[in-house]
Amino acid sequence: MSATVGSKLIPIRIDAISTETMKDWAVFLRDPNPIHLDVDVVKAKGLGDAVINQGPINVAYVMNMLLANFPGAHIETMSSRFTDNAYGGEAVETFGTVIEVENTAAGQRVSCEVGLTADARSFVISGTATVFIPKP
Amino acid sequence: MELPSPPDVAGTSLSGSEPYMITADENRALCASLGVTPAADGSAHPIYYYVATQVAMGSTVAGLCEICEFDVEVGPMMAGSSVDFSSAILTDHPYLVEGEIISIVRKKSRKLGVMDLMEYQLRLVDPDNKTIVLSTTNSWVLPRRELA
Repeated sequence: MSATVGSKLIPIRIDAISTETMKDWAVFLRDPNPIHLDVDVVKAKGLGDAVINQGPINVAYVMNMLLANFPGAHIETMSSRFTDNAYGGEAVETFGTVIEVENTAAGQRVSCEVGLTADARSFVISGTATVFIPKP
Repeated sequence: MELPSPPDVAGTSLSGSEPYMITADENRALCASLGVTPAADGSAHPIYYYVATQVAMGSTVAGLCEICEFDVEVGPMMAGSSVDFSSAILTDHPYLVEGEIISIVRKKSRKLGVMDLMEYQLRLVDPDNKTIVLSTTNSWVLPRRELA
């Protein structure tokens, strides 16, 4: 995409967050927190009616959007504020807007406002990220 | 009414002792779980900034909660996470994790009642040349309903 201030990133949509993926991530993270695995635990804690997606998965969705929009780029910085949970089976979508572009001898540095929203509610993550696109 | 002070844990080391390596197979599995193709240049998915530092820090999630005198069963919640990359994370390359608790602040929240906001920093270090590959700062909310 053309990195110009104000341009919108192409979002990534997840139609239904997979509960199987949460099980995989409990292994990746070595963290078997039952709120990601057992809906009865979530209900007992009064946290909702479905298992809760691990926060790092939500961040990864946003990272995937950045890497898809800027092929060949690498992420330099990213800051995420977690404002709500995303639940198993729920539809979520990333968003991003270019807020600053810096041209350097080695390439282009692009800063964006980014985040993730849940269809049923609102923001799950909001934050900022900077990617660097090296010159070919 | 004045709240009791939170545990005095700022500065507590979270450095790990064992090298941690992301295998290409594990990276492939993680990428598959996200529906993306692994990078062809041997770099791991950037979300390993969080995964690798959590797995290889010197404490489990439950252990970190215990340091903060908080029962993990109550449920810590992620409030924020930031990362600064100096270079890419590589698969099949050993790393060490260094870090410490930065602060813990007790406050009242309209939504959660009394809570502690705990912030810690972890750094992924390449042991070959001692360079810092990335630095991440995470903040967790630890609800203290018993103090409400």
